Amino acid sequence: MLDALFRFFFDLSPIVFSQGEFRFAASTGSYVAAAAVAVAAALTILAYRKGHGRAGQRITLAAIRLAILAIILVCMFRPLLVVRAAVPQQNFLGVLLDDSRSMQIADVDGQPRASFVKGEFGANDRGLLKALSDRFTVRTFRFSSAATRTTQESDLTFGGSQSRLGAALSGVRQELAGLPVAGLVMVSDGADTADAALGEAILGLKAENLPVFTIGVGRETLSKDIQVGRVVTPKTALKGTTLMVDVVLSQSGFDGQKVTLDVEDEGTLVSTQQVSLPNAGTPASIPVRFTVNEPGPRVLRFKVTPQAGELVTENNAREALIDVRDRKEKILYFEGEPRYEYKFIRRAIPEGDNLIVTSLIRTADNKYMRQGVDGPDELIAAFPKTREELFSYRSLVIGSLEAAAMTGDQLKMISEFVDRRGGGLLMLGGPRAFAEGGWTGTAVADVLPVVLDRSRLQPKGTVMRLTIKPTRAGAGTAVTQLGANEQASAEKWSKLPSVTAVNRIDAVKPGATVLLMGTDESRAERPMLIFQRYGRGKTFAFLPQDSWNWQMDASIAVDDLTHENYWRQLLRWLVDGVPDQVEPALTTERVEPGEGATLTANVVDPSFVELNDAAVMATVTAPDGTVSDVPMSWDGEHAGQYSATIPTKAPGWYEAKIDATRAGKSVGSAVTHFRAAPGDAEYFDATMHAGTLRRIADETGGRFYDAANTSTLADDLRYTGRGVTSVEEHELWHMPIVLFLLVGLLCAEWGYRRVVGLA
Amino acid sequence: MDPLEPRAEYDGRFAFTRIRVGPGVDLANGRFGRREPPWMHDFPRADFHFLKILSELTFLKTFIDQGNILTLDDPDLAKFPIAYMSEPGFWVMNDAELAGLRNYLLKGGFIIFDDFRGNHVDNLVVQMRRVYPEAPFVKLDATHPIFHSFFEINALDPRSGYYAQMGDTEWLGIYEDNDPRKRLIAIANNNHDLGELWEFSDTGYVPVDLSNEAYKFGVNYVMYAMTH
Repeated sequence: MLDALFRFFFDLSPIVFSQGEFRFAASTGSYVAAAAVAVAAALTILAYRKGHGRAGQRITLAAIRLAILAIILVCMFRPLLVVRAAVPQQNFLGVLLDDSRSMQIADVDGQPRASFVKGEFGANDRGLLKALSDRFTVRTFRFSSAATRTTQESDLTFGGSQSRLGAALSGVRQELAGLPVAGLVMVSDGADTADAALGEAILGLKAENLPVFTIGVGRETLSKDIQVGRVVTPKTALKGTTLMVDVVLSQSGFDGQKVTLDVEDEGTLVSTQQVSLPNAGTPASIPVRFTVNEPGPRVLRFKVTPQAGELVTENNAREALIDVRDRKEKILYFEGEPRYEYKFIRRAIPEGDNLIVTSLIRTADNKYMRQGVDGPDELIAAFPKTREELFSYRSLVIGSLEAAAMTGDQLKMISEFVDRRGGGLLMLGGPRAFAEGGWTGTAVADVLPVVLDRSRLQPKGTVMRLTIKPTRAGAGTAVTQLGANEQASAEKWSKLPSVTAVNRIDAVKPGATVLLMGTDESRAERPMLIFQRYGRGKTFAFLPQDSWNWQMDASIAVDDLTHENYWRQLLRWLVDGVPDQVEPALTTERVEPGEGATLTANVVDPSFVELNDAAVMATVTAPDGTVSDVPMSWDGEHAGQYSATIPTKAPGWYEAKIDATRAGKSVGSAVTHFRAAPGDAEYFDATMHAGTLRRIADETGGRFYDAANTSTLADDLRYTGRGVTSVEEHELWHMPIVLFLLVGLLCAEWGYRRVVGLA
Repeated sequence: MDPLEPRAEYDGRFAFTRIRVGPGVDLANGRFGRREPPWMHDFPRADFHFLKILSELTFLKTFIDQGNILTLDDPDLAKFPIAYMSEPGFWVMNDAELAGLRNYLLKGGFIIFDDFRGNHVDNLVVQMRRVYPEAPFVKLDATHPIFHSFFEINALDPRSGYYAQMGDTEWLGIYEDNDPRKRLIAIANNNHDLGELWEFSDTGYVPVDLSNEAYKFGVNYVMYAMTH
């Protein structure tokens, strides 16, 4: 609309103005006319200095008259727009057609986006392609993951599982290098599914001064759609772990509607709940709870049942890969005095569980009892004295034990256990814990999530009696889930018996999160379970000294598993994500079949010092059972980091077992999995992304067109200034806008005179 | 001091918790010719002497001169997961007490039966069969961890008990789920009386060695129950 208006007034396309150079072609007559205009201007000023009317009225009339004279003067100097126009049929034009699956979405008057592409670019004698072919030698490409030449309509399948706009533009630019190219035309919905930014491709185009004219196909909002926008899951989890996952839902056209949100573990329903959809345009985060009980690589599918009238149903589900580990994870629990809390925490983890609580309890001065040890030598000299020994555990629980029971080096080791080894540390409340146990100012105090203040201790012999409830942040974590759903869980917390605490904590560290809050008898609130990440690990503080009341209290039924579940979930969180000596990572859990998967591994020695001289090999088992060895090399940049690209062929699961050795001795090994499968990213955020396409056009010097308004494209492309061009001069004095201005000013003068009574 | 009222208000510390059983006790004309019911034997000196020893020897935080006397159906019993019953040979209980003890043991509680002799064990076995029919009392030997939880008691002498003249001393236990790999939920000193030996440990009425041994068993029981 604006474009048409511009053309009506200026007689030329906006791009001619943006590409052209403004000049005057003055002749001798122009200067004579200038002299005449100068005289007329002088006479105007003289005439309006005195006379009828007030000064302000006369100034306004003089200004209008002078403006008319100025326009006439400019026209007498023959203004020109000099522009370089492409010589017909002497230049090439690259046309890129989006061939991805999102083009099948029928959001254009019930027609798929692809129908526009076929209608306008399906054959040389059709629509836009004909208009372009009349002026240029057109090279047509189709693209999804990369651009390939296409010569016939049947090449377009609209089945590509990704849209990599940047890769397509760079590919076409390189293919047409050396030819006189007027520009590129990209027809797409603009949904870029590439991980890499577009910026690099745009820089290449800018360097060659190659403009891209983009045509956006599709609607910028879908009338009716529900989308599972994002699901954040841990990469690995211990078998039997209950996970709380936030599922982000967004929708349009279904405000407030109730839908079913299901979670399937390889086809088995593991969670289902009714949720109310948020308002349109406002994504809502829905906490979902489920337990992973089956070991191995598991694809979890989070889905909302498709609703009637939805334009895209493929975006109603998201998949996430979780490597469920069925292995024993050892926690070291060091308790400083005999107490019931110790016994009941141990009881919460049954024999045969994937968690092993190896405990050391000090029963008297220099007298220890060991439980859950692997052999007679484990912890024989009480708490570990070397990093190798301590770091062999994945997490550490410190009970009611005073800091003075540790040497300075042991305190430092515990701090490094969290910071460098990436372990989990949990300090429990008790008479000898926290500030009351002299931990203030130690290396361990630095890593704890609470602020220890030796000047504000709980008075000896006094206890706080508290009722505990999850905070808002805590309610979104698995550890506080005591019921089948959010409501049941909240009800359970409200009925739990009170506990006592003997440690006063007034403040938590700035980066810490309070998950459980206690209310004491004076209604004051005290943080009870606090969490923070520290370095590579995480730390927790749990203040109550008798959570076993949640098991023993007379109000608790014998078969109530509240206490057990709480501790299992907390201890599982404690070991969750704790790295091994060989820790694998994948840049993405899924690659397109045929593409390479980038596998990295962090390799450290038993004291978790990075190794750069290890021999690291990935043994890859493909879906068809073939096994290949891929050596991994140190990346030369990050200490201890090795990487390799694993090629894929057939779709399916790939298993990579990474073995690291050093000087002939094994450092460790790890197994990870990834999938080669077509992605479904095309259906997410599947609206037409005008912003992306506009950015490509604007930054490269091209223009963005809506699919419904492309009539000027072919003409506009003539004025890119690239390729074989000839110079065109466009006279501007006879633009309609000049006439309108003159007539307008004359009318304004006459009208003003009428209004002020000077006519 | 009224022994029927609880006195150690729970604050996280260990309190000696003596079980009061009844009816069946005639306080006015006790069948033993004294005004003390069987469950109260050796109270309070045994209890407080034992607490002092526990406190001195171990890092366990305890009340020193306060204890609790609770019935099996008292909700406060749940705050003290180790209980002591004297003279179980005269123990009878109502349904509420039965349910209270059963729940207590299933949830993680532990009970010590002491001070009984001769055929008193028969009543104990009958009563505990009512409470926990899943498992009977079994005889323990010196290899059991309960005898090594603090002191190393490497031999159990059947003639060492306070009532050895009434029969061999034996240490009987009930395993959770009747599974010897699991914890003991109860221990009984048949033909023995640790409480008596604790009570008079400061008087010279009983040999020091016997008192010492009695303390060792008591400390081990508590340490075991605190850790298993």
